Amino acid sequence: MLSCKELVAHSSDLLDGQLRLRQRLAVRAHLAMCLRCRRFIKQMRLSQAVLRQLPQAPISELDALAAKLAELRRLQR
Amino acid sequence: MDYPSDSALLARLLAGEEKAFRELVATYQGAMRAVAFAIVGSRNADEVVQDAWLAVVRNLDGFQGRSSLKTWLLTITANTAKTRLKHNRREVLLDDLPGPHGTIGDERFAADGHWLLAPHAWHQDSPDALLTAAELRECLEKTLGSLSELQGSVLQLREREGLELDEICNLLQVSLSNVRVLLHRARLKVFATLEHFEETGQC
Repeated sequence: MLSCKELVAHSSDLLDGQLRLRQRLAVRAHLAMCLRCRRFIKQMRLSQAVLRQLPQAPISELDALAAKLAELRRLQR
Repeated sequence: MDYPSDSALLARLLAGEEKAFRELVATYQGAMRAVAFAIVGSRNADEVVQDAWLAVVRNLDGFQGRSSLKTWLLTITANTAKTRLKHNRREVLLDDLPGPHGTIGDERFAADGHWLLAPHAWHQDSPDALLTAAELRECLEKTLGSLSELQGSVLQLREREGLELDEICNLLQVSLSNVRVLLHRARLKVFATLEHFEETGQC
């Protein structure tokens, strides 16, 4: 039987679909019985979503770079 | 072309339309920077990205659409970065720098592997609600800034840019097992920051 500590160690592989069948079954069996680990996995997924939505720093000199690249492209044609 | 969503943009790029280049840079420069960061480090990353953009324009006519535009751009970036490194290739640093709020370490578990300090329920359970706190955003930036260049890049490419693990391995020339380790440790540090903020209300 998988321990909570082992489940946490496998958690990223679970999120990334990297578990082999046997491990996947062991993880599922553990989660079915363990509220605390279910909560942990839910919070890991939430952390992923937070990272995805974290606003990114604006690109400096975006317009200047775009103008330069477009100019270079036109010179090439 | 196998990637129809790219073809409209590509046509405009080929025509030299400035707005199209603006769109391209805005969409992909973040991921390109992460790739450059992982390979040459923060000091040279911006220069590599600039060089990669020039290479992109030079090779635009040769883009066949056999991969997505994104994959093509990131491959050019990785190649530009590797050329720059030439012989003095850095070793893959798996060093785990400590995060500002730690990680989910051994101290959270009893000797039998059960939780000793299990996670509490969080007050917020949507990303939007969590991110309304400006302090949390800053706090997360701090945690991300504490990651090594390679680890931060792997996390960004996976979580924000949605790359598959094998794409990350190929671009950065890091083994799958190392990518998995880097990613897992980075996620636990981010988790620890969110948990800390949820429990204390401060960074």
